[in-house]
Amino acid sequence: MEGWFGQVSTELAAAWAIAKKDILIWYLKPGIIVSGMLFPLFMFLAFAVGRPAEPTVLVPGLVAITILFSASSIEPVSIPIERRMNTFDRLLSAPISLHAVVLGESLSGFLYSIGIALVPLAAGLAVFRAGIVGPAFLVAGVVLTAFCFSTMGTLFAAYPTESPGDIMSMLNLVRLPLIFISGVFIPLSQLPSAGQFIALLSPLTYGSDLIRAGFTGEAHFGPAVDVGLLLVFILVFQFAANLLYRRFND
Amino acid sequence: MHAIETLGISKRFGDLRALSDVSFTVGEGETFGFLGPNGAGKTTTIRILTGITAPTSGTARIFGHDIVRETVAARRQMGIVHETSNIYTDLSAWRNLMFAAELYRVGRREREKRGAELLEVFDLADRQHDRTRGFSKGMKRRLTLAMGLVNSPRLLFLDEPTSGLDVQSNLIIRDVIRGLNEDGVTVFLTTHNIEEANLTCDRVAIIDHGRIAAIDSPERLKETIQSVQSVEVAFHPGGRVAADDLAALSRVREVRKEGDKFRLITEDPPGVLEEVMAFAPRAGVRVISVNTRGPSLEDVFIRLTGLDVRTKGVTTAD
Ligand SMILES: Nc1ncnc2c1ncn2[C@@H]1O[C@H](COP(=O)(O)OP(=O)(O)OP(=O)(O)O)[C@@H](O)[C@H]1O
Ligand SMILES: [Mg+2]
Repeated sequence: MEGWFGQVSTELAAAWAIAKKDILIWYLKPGIIVSGMLFPLFMFLAFAVGRPAEPTVLVPGLVAITILFSASSIEPVSIPIERRMNTFDRLLSAPISLHAVVLGESLSGFLYSIGIALVPLAAGLAVFRAGIVGPAFLVAGVVLTAFCFSTMGTLFAAYPTESPGDIMSMLNLVRLPLIFISGVFIPLSQLPSAGQFIALLSPLTYGSDLIRAGFTGEAHFGPAVDVGLLLVFILVFQFAANLLYRRFND
Repeated sequence: MHAIETLGISKRFGDLRALSDVSFTVGEGETFGFLGPNGAGKTTTIRILTGITAPTSGTARIFGHDIVRETVAARRQMGIVHETSNIYTDLSAWRNLMFAAELYRVGRREREKRGAELLEVFDLADRQHDRTRGFSKGMKRRLTLAMGLVNSPRLLFLDEPTSGLDVQSNLIIRDVIRGLNEDGVTVFLTTHNIEEANLTCDRVAIIDHGRIAAIDSPERLKETIQSVQSVEVAFHPGGRVAADDLAALSRVREVRKEGDKFRLITEDPPGVLEEVMAFAPRAGVRVISVNTRGPSLEDVFIRLTGLDVRTKGVTTAD
Protein backbone atom coordinates (compact mmCIF):
# COMPACT_ATOMS: atom_id res chain seq x y z
CA MET A 1 0.00 0.00 0.00
CA GLU A 2 1.81 3.00 -1.39
CA GLY A 3 -0.52 5.53 0.31
CA TRP A 4 -0.03 4.07 3.75
CA PHE A 5 3.73 3.77 3.33
CA GLY A 6 3.89 7.27 1.89
CA GLN A 7 2.10 8.74 4.88
CA VAL A 8 4.31 6.93 7.40
CA SER A 9 7.48 8.10 5.70
CA THR A 10 6.09 11.64 5.50
CA GLU A 11 5.36 11.52 9.22
CA LEU A 12 8.86 10.29 10.01
CA ALA A 13 10.43 12.93 7.77
CA ALA A 14 8.40 15.65 9.50
CA ALA A 15 9.28 14.26 12.94
CA TRP A 16 12.93 14.41 11.98
CA ALA A 17 12.52 17.98 10.73
CA ILE A 18 11.02 18.92 14.10
CA ALA A 19 13.86 17.20 15.95
CA LYS A 20 16.50 18.91 13.78
CA LYS A 21 14.96 22.28 14.50
CA ASP A 22 15.13 21.63 18.25
CA ILE A 23 18.70 20.40 17.97
CA LEU A 24 19.74 23.62 16.21
CA ILE A 25 17.95 25.78 18.74
CA TRP A 26 18.41 24.02 22.05
CA TYR A 27 21.54 21.90 22.22
CA LEU A 28 23.84 24.78 22.95
CA LYS A 29 21.60 26.66 25.39
CA PRO A 30 23.33 26.92 28.78
CA GLY A 31 20.16 26.17 30.77
CA ILE A 32 19.69 22.87 28.97
CA ILE A 33 23.29 21.84 29.56
CA VAL A 34 23.03 22.64 33.25
CA SER A 35 19.84 20.67 33.80
CA GLY A 36 20.88 17.82 31.54
CA MET A 37 24.43 17.31 32.72
CA LEU A 38 25.15 18.99 36.04
CA PHE A 39 21.91 18.08 37.75
CA PRO A 40 22.44 14.32 37.47
CA LEU A 41 26.05 14.77 38.54
CA PHE A 42 24.99 16.50 41.76
CA MET A 43 22.36 13.87 42.36
CA PHE A 44 25.03 11.26 41.97
CA LEU A 45 27.37 13.03 44.36
CA ALA A 46 24.58 13.45 46.89
CA PHE A 47 23.36 9.87 46.84
CA ALA A 48 26.21 7.68 45.86
CA VAL A 49 29.49 9.09 47.04
CA GLY A 50 30.71 8.05 50.44
CA ARG A 51 28.83 4.82 50.35
CA PRO A 52 30.67 1.57 50.04
CA ALA A 53 29.17 0.66 46.71
CA GLU A 54 30.42 -1.49 43.88
CA PRO A 55 31.30 0.12 40.55
CA THR A 56 28.76 -2.25 38.99
CA VAL A 57 26.08 -0.43 41.01
CA LEU A 58 27.48 3.09 40.88
CA VAL A 59 28.26 3.37 37.19
CA PRO A 60 24.98 2.01 35.83
CA GLY A 61 23.15 4.08 38.44
CA LEU A 62 24.87 7.25 37.32
CA VAL A 63 24.21 6.45 33.67
CA ALA A 64 20.53 5.78 34.42
CA ILE A 65 19.87 9.02 36.30
CA THR A 66 21.86 11.01 33.76
CA ILE A 67 19.52 9.67 31.11
CA LEU A 68 16.48 10.31 33.30
CA PHE A 69 17.35 13.99 33.65
CA SER A 70 18.89 14.76 30.27
CA ALA A 71 16.24 13.02 28.18
CA SER A 72 13.49 15.09 29.75
CA SER A 73 15.38 18.38 29.79
CA ILE A 74 14.52 19.79 26.36
CA GLU A 75 10.83 19.46 25.56
CA PRO A 76 9.60 20.74 28.95
CA VAL A 77 11.47 23.96 28.12
CA SER A 78 11.09 24.14 24.35
CA ILE A 79 7.37 23.39 24.11
CA PRO A 80 6.09 26.08 26.50
CA ILE A 81 8.34 28.56 24.74
CA GLU A 82 7.02 27.47 21.36
CA ARG A 83 3.55 28.07 22.77
CA ARG A 84 4.55 31.54 23.89
CA MET A 85 6.06 32.38 20.50
CA ASN A 86 3.09 30.75 18.72
CA THR A 87 5.46 28.60 16.70
CA PHE A 88 3.75 25.58 18.24
CA ASP A 89 0.74 26.37 16.04
CA ARG A 90 2.95 25.58 13.04
CA LEU A 91 3.47 22.06 14.30
CA LEU A 92 -0.20 21.70 15.21
CA SER A 93 -1.33 22.80 11.75
CA ALA A 94 1.18 20.83 9.67
CA PRO A 95 -0.10 18.00 7.45
CA ILE A 96 1.03 15.34 9.92
CA SER A 97 -0.57 13.55 12.85
CA LEU A 98 -0.05 14.53 16.49
CA HIS A 99 1.95 11.33 16.86
CA ALA A 100 4.57 12.73 14.51
CA VAL A 101 4.67 15.98 16.50
CA VAL A 102 5.09 14.09 19.79
CA LEU A 103 7.73 11.81 18.27
CA GLY A 104 9.63 14.72 16.71
CA GLU A 105 9.67 16.62 19.97
CA SER A 106 10.84 13.53 21.87
CA LEU A 107 13.62 12.76 19.39
CA SER A 108 15.69 15.81 20.26
CA GLY A 109 15.70 14.92 23.98
CA PHE A 110 16.40 11.29 23.13
CA LEU A 111 19.49 12.04 21.02
CA TYR A 112 20.68 14.62 23.50
CA SER A 113 20.59 12.20 26.41
CA ILE A 114 22.36 9.46 24.47
CA GLY A 115 25.19 11.90 23.84
CA ILE A 116 25.23 13.07 27.44
CA ALA A 117 25.10 9.49 28.78
CA LEU A 118 28.41 8.76 27.08
CA VAL A 119 30.11 11.06 29.59
CA PRO A 120 29.35 9.07 32.79
CA LEU A 121 29.79 5.90 30.81
CA ALA A 122 33.30 6.85 29.75
CA ALA A 123 34.09 8.15 33.22
CA GLY A 124 32.78 4.92 34.74
CA LEU A 125 34.92 2.78 32.53
CA ALA A 126 38.03 4.89 33.09
CA VAL A 127 37.73 5.85 36.76
CA PHE A 128 35.88 2.94 38.31
CA ARG A 129 37.23 0.35 35.93
CA ALA A 130 33.81 -1.12 35.46
CA GLY A 131 33.80 -3.65 32.67
CA ILE A 132 31.07 -4.16 30.12
CA VAL A 133 30.01 -7.75 29.97
CA GLY A 134 26.67 -7.42 28.19
CA PRO A 135 27.02 -4.74 25.48
CA ALA A 136 23.65 -5.58 23.93
CA PHE A 137 21.91 -5.10 27.30
CA LEU A 138 23.73 -1.82 27.81
CA VAL A 139 22.82 -0.45 24.39
CA ALA A 140 19.20 -1.56 24.68
CA GLY A 141 19.01 -0.16 28.21
CA VAL A 142 20.46 3.23 27.26
CA VAL A 143 18.37 3.60 24.10
CA LEU A 144 15.04 2.50 25.58
CA THR A 145 15.49 4.44 28.82
CA ALA A 146 16.39 7.58 26.88
CA PHE A 147 13.41 7.20 24.59
CA CYS A 148 11.08 6.46 27.47
CA PHE A 149 12.03 9.57 29.45
CA SER A 150 12.16 11.90 26.48
CA THR A 151 8.60 10.82 25.64
CA MET A 152 7.70 11.38 29.30
CA GLY A 153 9.11 14.91 28.98
CA THR A 154 6.93 15.55 25.93
CA LEU A 155 3.96 14.15 27.83
CA PHE A 156 4.46 16.56 30.74
CA ALA A 157 4.94 19.44 28.32
CA ALA A 158 1.38 18.86 27.09
CA TYR A 159 0.20 20.82 30.11
CA PRO A 160 -0.98 24.04 28.45
CA THR A 161 1.34 26.60 29.96
CA GLU A 162 3.71 29.09 28.41
CA SER A 163 6.13 28.87 31.32
CA PRO A 164 8.81 26.14 31.40
CA GLY A 165 9.01 26.46 35.20
CA ASP A 166 5.48 25.09 35.59
CA ILE A 167 6.37 21.95 33.73
CA MET A 168 9.80 21.54 35.28
CA SER A 169 8.37 21.63 38.79
CA MET A 170 5.72 19.03 37.93
CA LEU A 171 8.37 16.92 36.29
CA ASN A 172 10.71 17.09 39.25
CA LEU A 173 7.88 15.97 41.47
CA VAL A 174 8.10 12.74 39.52
CA ARG A 175 11.76 12.53 38.56
CA LEU A 176 13.24 12.97 42.04
CA PRO A 177 11.18 10.23 43.74
CA LEU A 178 11.95 7.93 40.81
CA ILE A 179 15.60 7.89 41.86
CA PHE A 180 14.63 6.46 45.26
CA ILE A 181 11.99 3.99 44.26
CA SER A 182 13.69 2.44 41.25
CA GLY A 183 16.56 0.60 42.86
CA VAL A 184 19.11 2.81 41.17
CA PHE A 185 21.74 2.88 43.89
CA ILE A 186 20.20 0.30 46.16
CA PRO A 187 19.71 -3.05 44.46
CA LEU A 188 16.08 -4.09 44.27
CA SER A 189 16.74 -7.27 46.19
CA GLN A 190 17.80 -5.17 49.18
CA LEU A 191 14.63 -3.04 49.21
CA PRO A 192 11.81 -3.83 51.68
CA SER A 193 8.90 -5.64 50.06
CA ALA A 194 6.69 -2.54 49.92
CA GLY A 195 9.55 -0.76 48.17
CA GLN A 196 9.95 -3.62 45.77
CA PHE A 197 6.28 -3.38 44.90
CA ILE A 198 6.40 0.39 44.30
CA ALA A 199 9.51 -0.09 42.19
CA LEU A 200 7.47 -2.15 39.76
CA LEU A 201 5.56 1.00 38.78
CA SER A 202 8.64 2.95 37.75
CA PRO A 203 10.07 2.74 34.25
CA LEU A 204 13.45 3.67 35.69
CA THR A 205 13.43 0.35 37.53
CA TYR A 206 13.53 -1.58 34.27
CA GLY A 207 15.85 0.91 32.59
CA SER A 208 18.46 0.79 35.32
CA ASP A 209 18.06 -2.97 35.66
CA LEU A 210 18.82 -3.39 31.97
CA ILE A 211 21.73 -0.96 32.04
CA ARG A 212 23.17 -2.74 35.07
CA ALA A 213 22.87 -6.01 33.19
CA GLY A 214 25.32 -4.47 30.76
CA PHE A 215 27.90 -4.46 33.55
CA THR A 216 26.93 -7.61 35.46
CA GLY A 217 25.43 -9.76 32.75
CA GLU A 218 22.38 -10.36 34.91
CA ALA A 219 19.05 -8.57 35.18
CA HIS A 220 16.81 -8.80 38.23
CA PHE A 221 13.69 -9.17 36.07
CA GLY A 222 15.35 -10.66 33.02
CA PRO A 223 16.28 -8.60 29.99
CA ALA A 224 13.17 -9.56 28.01
CA VAL A 225 10.91 -8.31 30.80
CA ASP A 226 12.89 -5.06 31.06
CA VAL A 227 12.76 -4.44 27.32
CA GLY A 228 9.09 -5.35 27.12
CA LEU A 229 8.04 -3.11 29.97
CA LEU A 230 10.12 -0.17 28.75
CA LEU A 231 8.37 -0.51 25.38
CA VAL A 232 5.01 -0.56 27.16
CA PHE A 233 5.89 2.62 29.06
CA ILE A 234 7.01 4.30 25.83
CA LEU A 235 3.73 3.43 24.13
CA VAL A 236 1.68 4.54 27.11
CA PHE A 237 3.51 7.89 27.26
CA GLN A 238 3.23 8.35 23.49
CA PHE A 239 -0.51 7.74 23.42
CA ALA A 240 -1.17 9.71 26.60
CA ALA A 241 0.76 12.64 25.12
CA ASN A 242 -1.21 12.37 21.90
CA LEU A 243 -4.44 12.45 23.89
CA LEU A 244 -3.43 15.37 26.09
CA TYR A 245 -2.19 17.53 23.20
CA ARG A 246 -5.52 16.98 21.52
CA ARG A 247 -7.46 17.70 24.70
CA PHE A 248 -5.60 20.87 25.66
CA ASN A 249 -5.56 22.18 22.17
CA ASP A 250 -8.56 24.47 22.15
CA MET B 1 -15.62 21.63 -5.99
CA HIS B 2 -15.32 24.47 -3.50
CA ALA B 3 -11.99 25.38 -1.97
CA ILE B 4 -13.73 25.93 1.35
CA GLU B 5 -17.19 24.91 2.36
CA THR B 6 -18.47 25.41 5.88
CA LEU B 7 -21.82 24.32 7.16
CA GLY B 8 -23.29 25.65 10.38
CA ILE B 9 -20.03 26.00 12.28
CA SER B 10 -20.35 26.95 15.93
CA LYS B 11 -17.63 27.22 18.52
CA ARG B 12 -18.02 27.62 22.24
CA PHE B 13 -15.34 28.39 24.79
CA GLY B 14 -17.11 27.56 28.04
CA ASP B 15 -20.02 29.97 28.17
CA LEU B 16 -18.68 32.12 25.37
CA ARG B 17 -20.12 31.61 21.92
CA ALA B 18 -17.20 32.57 19.69
CA LEU B 19 -18.93 31.44 16.47
CA SER B 20 -22.62 30.86 15.81
CA ASP B 21 -23.84 28.94 12.79
CA VAL B 22 -21.24 30.17 10.32
CA SER B 23 -21.85 28.93 6.78
CA PHE B 24 -20.16 30.06 3.58
CA THR B 25 -18.33 28.73 0.55
CA VAL B 26 -15.20 29.94 -1.16
CA GLY B 27 -14.69 29.01 -4.80
CA GLU B 28 -11.37 27.87 -6.17
CA GLY B 29 -9.23 30.82 -7.23
CA GLU B 30 -11.21 33.31 -5.22
CA THR B 31 -9.76 35.86 -2.82
CA PHE B 32 -12.16 35.85 0.06
CA GLY B 33 -12.04 38.33 2.91
CA PHE B 34 -13.28 37.86 6.44
CA LEU B 35 -13.86 41.32 7.76
CA GLY B 36 -14.71 41.97 11.37
CA PRO B 37 -13.81 43.91 14.50
CA ASN B 38 -11.57 42.55 17.28
CA GLY B 39 -13.02 39.47 18.88
CA ALA B 40 -15.46 38.83 16.04
CA GLY B 41 -14.25 35.27 15.59
CA LYS B 42 -11.91 35.62 12.60
CA THR B 43 -8.95 33.77 14.09
CA THR B 44 -11.23 31.14 15.59
CA THR B 45 -12.64 30.51 12.10
CA ILE B 46 -9.13 30.06 10.66
CA ARG B 47 -8.14 27.75 13.51
CA ILE B 48 -11.14 25.58 12.74
CA LEU B 49 -10.58 25.61 8.98
CA THR B 50 -6.94 24.61 9.45
CA GLY B 51 -7.84 21.85 11.90
CA ILE B 52 -6.04 23.29 14.92
CA THR B 53 -9.28 23.29 16.90
CA ALA B 54 -12.44 21.34 16.29
CA PRO B 55 -15.79 23.11 15.92
CA THR B 56 -18.33 22.51 18.67
CA SER B 57 -20.80 21.72 15.90
CA GLY B 58 -20.97 21.98 12.13
CA THR B 59 -18.60 20.78 9.43
CA ALA B 60 -15.98 22.28 7.18
CA ARG B 61 -14.51 20.86 3.99
CA ILE B 62 -11.32 21.88 2.25
CA PHE B 63 -11.33 20.80 -1.40
CA GLY B 64 -13.86 18.19 -0.37
CA HIS B 65 -11.88 16.85 2.61
CA ASP B 66 -13.59 17.03 5.97
CA ILE B 67 -11.22 18.99 8.19
CA VAL B 68 -11.97 16.92 11.30
CA ARG B 69 -11.95 13.45 9.76
CA GLU B 70 -9.46 13.95 6.93
CA THR B 71 -7.29 16.57 8.57
CA VAL B 72 -3.99 15.61 6.99
CA ALA B 73 -5.37 15.37 3.45
CA ALA B 74 -7.05 18.75 3.85
CA ARG B 75 -3.92 20.38 5.23
CA ARG B 76 -1.68 19.16 2.41
CA GLN B 77 -3.32 21.72 0.16
CA MET B 78 -2.90 24.68 2.49
CA GLY B 79 -0.46 27.33 3.45
CA ILE B 80 -1.11 29.10 6.73
CA VAL B 81 0.03 32.52 7.84
CA HIS B 82 -0.86 32.83 11.50
CA GLU B 83 -1.94 36.04 13.16
CA THR B 84 1.36 36.48 15.00
CA SER B 85 4.59 36.26 13.07
CA ASN B 86 5.53 32.88 14.49
CA ILE B 87 9.07 32.35 13.36
CA TYR B 88 11.96 30.75 15.23
CA THR B 89 14.00 33.72 16.36
CA ASP B 90 17.05 31.55 17.11
CA LEU B 91 17.21 30.39 13.50
CA SER B 92 18.09 32.26 10.32
CA ALA B 93 15.47 33.27 7.78
CA TRP B 94 16.74 30.51 5.52
CA ARG B 95 16.51 27.80 8.21
CA ASN B 96 13.00 28.96 9.09
CA LEU B 97 11.94 28.63 5.47
CA MET B 98 13.56 25.23 5.07
CA PHE B 99 11.89 23.98 8.26
CA ALA B 100 8.49 25.13 7.04
CA ALA B 101 9.10 23.32 3.75
CA GLU B 102 10.24 20.13 5.47
CA LEU B 103 7.06 20.00 7.53
CA TYR B 104 5.19 19.82 4.22
CA ARG B 105 7.69 17.41 2.77
CA VAL B 106 8.82 19.63 -0.05
CA GLY B 107 11.81 17.88 -1.64
CA ARG B 108 15.28 19.33 -1.13
CA ARG B 109 15.86 20.71 -4.60
CA GLU B 110 12.35 22.12 -4.80
CA ARG B 111 12.48 23.77 -1.37
CA GLU B 112 15.85 25.35 -2.00
CA LYS B 113 14.70 26.79 -5.30
CA ARG B 114 11.39 27.96 -3.88
CA GLY B 115 13.08 29.36 -0.76
CA ALA B 116 15.51 31.43 -2.78
CA GLU B 117 12.67 32.80 -4.94
CA LEU B 118 10.54 33.73 -1.94
CA LEU B 119 13.42 35.50 -0.21
CA GLU B 120 13.77 37.65 -3.33
CA VAL B 121 10.05 38.34 -3.57
CA PHE B 122 9.84 39.36 0.06
CA ASP B 123 13.03 41.41 -0.08
CA LEU B 124 14.84 39.33 2.55
CA ALA B 125 17.59 37.78 0.42
CA ASP B 126 20.41 39.91 1.78
CA ARG B 127 19.51 39.04 5.37
CA GLN B 128 18.73 35.36 4.83
CA HIS B 129 21.57 34.02 6.97
CA ASP B 130 21.04 36.36 9.91
CA ARG B 131 19.27 35.13 13.00
CA THR B 132 15.75 36.47 12.78
CA ARG B 133 15.83 37.75 16.34
CA GLY B 134 17.00 41.13 15.08
CA PHE B 135 14.43 41.40 12.30
CA SER B 136 11.96 44.28 12.25
CA LYS B 137 8.26 43.61 12.59
CA GLY B 138 7.75 43.99 8.84
CA MET B 139 10.61 41.63 8.03
CA LYS B 140 9.24 39.02 10.42
CA ARG B 141 5.81 39.36 8.83
CA ARG B 142 7.23 38.97 5.34
CA LEU B 143 9.19 35.91 6.40
CA THR B 144 6.02 34.44 7.93
CA LEU B 145 4.30 34.93 4.59
CA ALA B 146 7.18 33.35 2.72
CA MET B 147 6.95 30.35 5.08
CA GLY B 148 3.23 30.06 4.32
CA LEU B 149 3.97 29.92 0.60
CA VAL B 150 6.99 27.64 0.57
CA ASN B 151 4.88 24.52 -0.06
CA SER B 152 3.15 26.20 -3.06
CA PRO B 153 -0.31 25.82 -1.52
CA ARG B 154 -3.54 25.72 -3.49
CA LEU B 155 -5.25 27.53 -0.64
CA LEU B 156 -3.62 30.17 1.50
CA PHE B 157 -4.95 31.29 4.88
CA LEU B 158 -3.83 34.75 5.93
CA ASP B 159 -4.76 35.97 9.39
CA GLU B 160 -4.38 39.75 9.30
CA PRO B 161 -1.44 39.72 6.90
CA THR B 162 -0.73 43.43 6.91
CA SER B 163 -1.86 44.57 10.33
CA GLY B 164 0.52 47.14 11.75
CA LEU B 165 2.98 47.21 8.84
CA ASP B 166 4.57 50.09 7.01
CA VAL B 167 3.73 51.04 3.44
CA GLN B 168 6.60 49.13 1.85
CA SER B 169 5.84 45.81 3.56
CA ASN B 170 2.17 46.38 2.88
CA LEU B 171 2.72 46.92 -0.81
CA ILE B 172 4.89 43.81 -1.16
CA ILE B 173 2.27 41.69 0.59
CA ARG B 174 -0.61 43.09 -1.46
CA ASP B 175 1.35 42.51 -4.63
CA VAL B 176 1.94 38.91 -3.65
CA ILE B 177 -1.75 38.37 -2.92
CA ARG B 178 -2.64 39.81 -6.30
CA GLY B 179 -0.08 37.54 -7.98
CA LEU B 180 -1.49 34.49 -6.19
CA ASN B 181 -4.93 35.43 -7.38
CA GLU B 182 -3.66 35.54 -10.97
CA ASP B 183 -2.07 32.13 -10.52
CA GLY B 184 -5.40 30.68 -9.43
CA VAL B 185 -4.49 30.23 -5.77
CA THR B 186 -7.42 30.56 -3.41
CA VAL B 187 -6.81 33.10 -0.64
CA PHE B 188 -8.78 33.34 2.59
CA LEU B 189 -7.76 36.42 4.48
CA THR B 190 -9.02 38.03 7.64
CA THR B 191 -8.68 41.69 8.31
CA HIS B 192 -10.21 44.53 10.21
CA ASN B 193 -8.88 46.88 7.58
CA ILE B 194 -11.80 47.73 5.34
CA GLU B 195 -9.70 49.32 2.64
CA GLU B 196 -7.59 46.17 2.41
CA ALA B 197 -10.70 44.03 1.96
CA ASN B 198 -12.00 46.46 -0.63
CA LEU B 199 -8.74 46.44 -2.59
CA THR B 200 -7.85 42.75 -2.50
CA CYS B 201 -10.98 40.65 -2.15
CA ASP B 202 -13.37 39.26 -4.73
CA ARG B 203 -15.90 38.69 -2.00
CA VAL B 204 -16.12 39.75 1.60
CA ALA B 205 -17.93 38.25 4.56
CA ILE B 206 -18.64 40.68 7.34
CA ILE B 207 -18.50 38.91 10.67
CA ASP B 208 -19.48 40.31 14.02
CA HIS B 209 -19.90 38.62 17.38
CA GLY B 210 -19.39 35.25 15.75
CA ARG B 211 -22.14 35.68 13.18
CA ILE B 212 -21.91 36.43 9.49
CA ALA B 213 -23.79 39.64 8.82
CA ALA B 214 -23.36 39.73 5.04
CA ILE B 215 -21.41 38.09 2.23
CA ASP B 216 -20.94 39.69 -1.17
CA SER B 217 -18.51 41.51 -3.41
CA PRO B 218 -17.35 44.85 -2.02
CA GLU B 219 -19.23 46.79 -4.71
CA ARG B 220 -22.47 44.92 -4.17
CA LEU B 221 -22.19 45.44 -0.44
CA LYS B 222 -21.88 49.14 -1.04
CA GLU B 223 -24.94 49.08 -3.29
CA THR B 224 -27.04 47.67 -0.49
CA ILE B 225 -26.71 50.96 1.33
CA GLN B 226 -26.69 53.25 -1.66
CA SER B 227 -28.83 55.69 0.33
CA VAL B 228 -25.80 56.61 2.40
CA GLN B 229 -24.10 59.61 0.86
CA SER B 230 -21.76 61.94 2.56
CA VAL B 231 -20.02 65.27 2.39
CA GLU B 232 -16.46 65.43 3.52
CA VAL B 233 -15.33 68.79 4.77
CA ALA B 234 -12.08 70.15 6.17
CA PHE B 235 -11.70 73.41 8.05
CA HIS B 236 -8.68 75.60 8.30
CA PRO B 237 -6.32 74.15 10.86
CA GLY B 238 -6.70 75.79 14.21
CA GLY B 239 -10.37 76.48 13.57
CA ARG B 240 -12.13 74.93 16.54
CA VAL B 241 -15.09 73.00 15.26
CA ALA B 242 -17.06 70.64 17.45
CA ALA B 243 -18.70 67.64 15.83
CA ASP B 244 -21.73 68.46 17.94
CA ASP B 245 -22.20 71.75 16.13
CA LEU B 246 -22.08 70.03 12.77
CA ALA B 247 -24.44 67.35 13.98
CA ALA B 248 -26.89 70.08 14.87
CA LEU B 249 -27.25 71.05 11.21
CA SER B 250 -30.70 69.95 10.13
CA ARG B 251 -29.78 67.91 7.04
CA VAL B 252 -26.85 66.09 8.67
CA ARG B 253 -27.80 62.66 9.88
CA GLU B 254 -24.49 61.62 11.34
CA VAL B 255 -21.02 63.08 11.87
CA ARG B 256 -17.76 61.20 11.79
CA LYS B 257 -14.42 62.77 12.41
CA GLU B 258 -11.88 61.26 10.03
CA GLY B 259 -8.40 62.60 10.61
CA ASP B 260 -8.43 66.33 9.95
CA LYS B 261 -11.77 66.07 8.15
CA PHE B 262 -15.38 65.60 9.10
CA ARG B 263 -17.64 63.26 7.26
CA LEU B 264 -21.27 64.36 7.28
CA ILE B 265 -23.65 61.55 6.41
CA THR B 266 -26.80 62.69 4.67
CA GLU B 267 -29.44 61.84 2.08
CA ASP B 268 -29.09 65.36 0.66
CA PRO B 269 -25.48 66.33 -0.10
CA PRO B 270 -26.29 69.67 -1.84
CA GLY B 271 -28.45 70.72 1.12
CA VAL B 272 -25.67 69.92 3.57
CA LEU B 273 -23.22 71.83 1.39
CA GLU B 274 -25.36 74.95 1.74
CA GLU B 275 -25.69 74.47 5.46
CA VAL B 276 -21.94 74.03 5.94
CA MET B 277 -21.11 77.14 3.93
CA ALA B 278 -23.55 79.10 6.07
CA PHE B 279 -22.23 77.53 9.27
CA ALA B 280 -18.57 78.37 8.65
CA PRO B 281 -18.72 82.20 8.96
CA ARG B 282 -21.04 81.89 11.97
CA ALA B 283 -18.52 79.67 13.72
CA GLY B 284 -15.63 81.85 12.60
CA VAL B 285 -13.84 79.12 10.63
CA ARG B 286 -12.81 78.71 7.02
CA VAL B 287 -13.65 75.75 4.85
CA ILE B 288 -10.56 74.55 2.98
CA SER B 289 -11.93 71.54 1.13
CA VAL B 290 -15.21 69.85 0.35
CA ASN B 291 -15.91 66.50 -1.31
CA THR B 292 -19.02 64.45 -1.78
CA ARG B 293 -18.69 60.70 -1.49
CA GLY B 294 -20.78 57.61 -2.13
CA PRO B 295 -21.04 54.83 0.43
CA SER B 296 -17.81 53.12 1.39
CA LEU B 297 -17.33 49.57 2.53
CA GLU B 298 -16.82 51.11 5.94
CA ASP B 299 -20.37 52.41 5.86
CA VAL B 300 -21.63 48.93 5.12
CA PHE B 301 -19.50 47.61 7.90
CA ILE B 302 -20.70 50.15 10.41
CA ARG B 303 -24.28 49.63 9.38
CA LEU B 304 -24.06 45.86 9.67
CA THR B 305 -22.03 45.59 12.81
CA GLY B 306 -24.02 48.30 14.55
CA LEU B 307 -20.84 50.07 15.51
CA ASP B 308 -22.59 53.14 16.84
CA VAL B 309 -19.75 54.68 18.75
CA ARG B 310 -18.96 57.23 16.11
CA THR B 311 -22.44 58.34 15.22
CA LYS B 312 -24.21 61.61 15.87
CA GLY B 313 -23.23 63.34 19.04
CA VAL B 314 -19.61 62.32 19.30
CA THR B 315 -17.39 65.29 19.90
CA THR B 316 -13.86 65.75 18.73
CA ALA B 317 -10.88 65.78 20.99
CA ASP B 318 -9.35 68.97 19.61
N1 LIG C 1 -8.76 29.60 23.39
C1 LIG C 1 -9.76 30.42 23.73
N2 LIG C 1 -10.34 30.32 24.93
C2 LIG C 1 -11.35 31.14 25.28
N3 LIG C 1 -11.86 32.09 24.49
C3 LIG C 1 -11.32 32.26 23.29
C4 LIG C 1 -10.24 31.44 22.83
N4 LIG C 1 -9.91 31.83 21.57
C5 LIG C 1 -10.75 32.84 21.27
N5 LIG C 1 -11.59 33.11 22.28
C6 LIG C 1 -12.66 34.12 22.27
O1 LIG C 1 -13.40 33.98 21.09
C7 LIG C 1 -13.76 35.24 20.56
C8 LIG C 1 -13.27 35.35 19.14
O2 LIG C 1 -11.86 35.43 19.16
P1 LIG C 1 -10.99 35.52 17.84
O3 LIG C 1 -9.57 35.46 18.26
O4 LIG C 1 -11.47 34.52 16.87
O5 LIG C 1 -11.32 36.97 17.32
P2 LIG C 1 -10.71 37.77 16.08
O6 LIG C 1 -11.83 38.13 15.20
O7 LIG C 1 -9.59 37.02 15.49
O8 LIG C 1 -10.16 39.09 16.80
P3 LIG C 1 -8.85 39.97 16.52
O9 LIG C 1 -9.20 40.93 15.43
O10 LIG C 1 -8.64 40.67 17.82
O11 LIG C 1 -7.74 39.04 16.16
C9 LIG C 1 -13.18 36.27 21.51
O12 LIG C 1 -14.19 36.68 22.39
C10 LIG C 1 -12.10 35.52 22.23
O13 LIG C 1 -11.92 36.04 23.52
MG1 LIG D 1 -7.64 37.37 15.25
